[in-house]
Amino acid sequence: MNNKLLSLQEAIRRYVKDGDIVSLGGFTTNRKPYAAVHEILRQGQKDLIAMAGPAGGDWDLLIGAGRVKAYINCYTANSGVTNVSRRFRKAIETGTLLFEDYSQDVEMLMIHAASLGLPFLPVRMMLGSGLVDECGISEEVRASLPKLAPKKYVMMDNPFRPGEKTVCVPVPRIDTAIIHVQKASPDGTCRIEGDEFHDVDIAIAAKNLIVTCEELMSNEEIRREPEKNSIPCFIPKCVVHAPYGAHPAQCYNYYDYDNPYLKEYDAASKTEEGFAAFKAKYVDAFKTHEEYLDYFGFTYLNRLRVTSGYGYTFDFALEGASQNSKEKQNV
Amino acid sequence: MSEKFAYTNKEMQAVAIARCIRDGQIVIVGTGLPLIGASLAKRAYAPNCSLIVESGLMDCRPIEVPRSVGDNRFMAHCGTQWTNIRFVGFETNAWLHDDERLIAFIGGAQIDPYGNVNSTCIGDYHRPKTRFTGSGGANGIATFVNTIIMMQHEKRRFMEKIDYVTSAGWMDGPGGRERAGLPANRGPKMVVTDLGIMKFDPQTRRMYLAHYYESSSPEEVIENTGFEIDVSKATMTPPPEPEIIRLIREEIDPKQSFIVIPGKEG
Repeated sequence: MNNKLLSLQEAIRRYVKDGDIVSLGGFTTNRKPYAAVHEILRQGQKDLIAMAGPAGGDWDLLIGAGRVKAYINCYTANSGVTNVSRRFRKAIETGTLLFEDYSQDVEMLMIHAASLGLPFLPVRMMLGSGLVDECGISEEVRASLPKLAPKKYVMMDNPFRPGEKTVCVPVPRIDTAIIHVQKASPDGTCRIEGDEFHDVDIAIAAKNLIVTCEELMSNEEIRREPEKNSIPCFIPKCVVHAPYGAHPAQCYNYYDYDNPYLKEYDAASKTEEGFAAFKAKYVDAFKTHEEYLDYFGFTYLNRLRVTSGYGYTFDFALEGASQNSKEKQNV
Repeated sequence: MSEKFAYTNKEMQAVAIARCIRDGQIVIVGTGLPLIGASLAKRAYAPNCSLIVESGLMDCRPIEVPRSVGDNRFMAHCGTQWTNIRFVGFETNAWLHDDERLIAFIGGAQIDPYGNVNSTCIGDYHRPKTRFTGSGGANGIATFVNTIIMMQHEKRRFMEKIDYVTSAGWMDGPGGRERAGLPANRGPKMVVTDLGIMKFDPQTRRMYLAHYYESSSPEEVIENTGFEIDVSKATMTPPPEPEIIRLIREEIDPKQSFIVIPGKEG
């Protein structure tokens, strides 16, 4: 049997290197591979080049800890709690981070183009906007970062429809993608439940794919319903069993976001000291993801589990209260 | 205004949004007020409209107010879970269909008289005084789809020249979109603020005041706009009906996730 199971430490040690182009799955506060991010923070990989996509606290943590060399981005927020991720914002305002802006559509298409093996990509977004007027990373600086394309974009007339302007964007070569999925088997077959976001695209486009999963299934069991599977066994380099590996983000069919935790991060990340204290408390204090889970404990984590029929944590007690008040009004 | 009226300013804006939506329209919402407004439209004015979000979740009917467009609160209660690139393909192909089929809500920190919107930074792009999230889906939406722009009405936000154009509006006026290579038959339709509803003159493409609220006035709009704005055509938009306010408070946002009722903070 082909067994790709690895510990989280070993997976990150083998497949995340200084200077790598890294892409993380998930969407702002949903199915973000936080356990893996925490392990990168503990191990010390640095000078990462991010193909960030719709990011949140995942990349904000890496930026705050000074691990990101260049940030290719379109949106960074723990929406609804932190409307602009604070370490990201501070790094740009103080000029300590190389960054490039694309629109979300374009960055997602760049990643998709990479998954299709296209050499470059013409789009019509960004025309008439600052996204073409301004380049965050100059060509001189790009020359010192050989993993990045030499230019942000090149304008080109549509060769098939003369007069139509297009913006040609480069297709990234991702070294390592990390995704957190609901189910995986030891041979590497993955099952994503709910929206897959750009996870399958980065899985195909990356040289190395690290998968962390909520649940392990046997190789036989996962193959009984292939229509539910998202990624074939030979794509991941390794599979890590990491229950609650997306905490404090959501994981469809499993758990909701952890609001108190996200709020604590919001407050802490306002200052460098606060950020450092938060990182010490929730990342550096633990050697493993299991220690992190034990810190919160069963009762706390179980409270985050989604309520069947709702898809998020539903408080029946509150519903009861409003039903009662309605009945009173009706009387 | 809470003491004077039986509704809050945010509720007025939600109602203004709801009234913009036509039955059968596909509405690109984010979170916040546009979601409340569109949910209200679906219940009260436009039962056949469909709500979609840029993460790719289509025909959303959330029970509880989501915080982000990728929230399980959308994902578990939608018609189809598309990936983001499917959404992109959908909006990019909007030109295949008529002008009224799709309408989108976007927001920003700064806006100019032609509806160009900045949601990237205040000050110099490379070393900004304040940095925001950046485009998200807004730039692509503004490229291909008619938009309604949500703003706080302040002089420092309504500016003759904005610091960065994240989402193109009518550019520099007539012919501006064509010159930039943007679809010319799509663009900003309205701006909804805490003071009123602005539209764009079909000839000059400049913003003008179309409607003010019971709680605001054309003078107040002029005072809070950093460029010259025509208010000569403005009329007062009717205040929300009590039943509509009940729908918002009891059915759409009972936890007051986005609309807080003074004295009744949940």
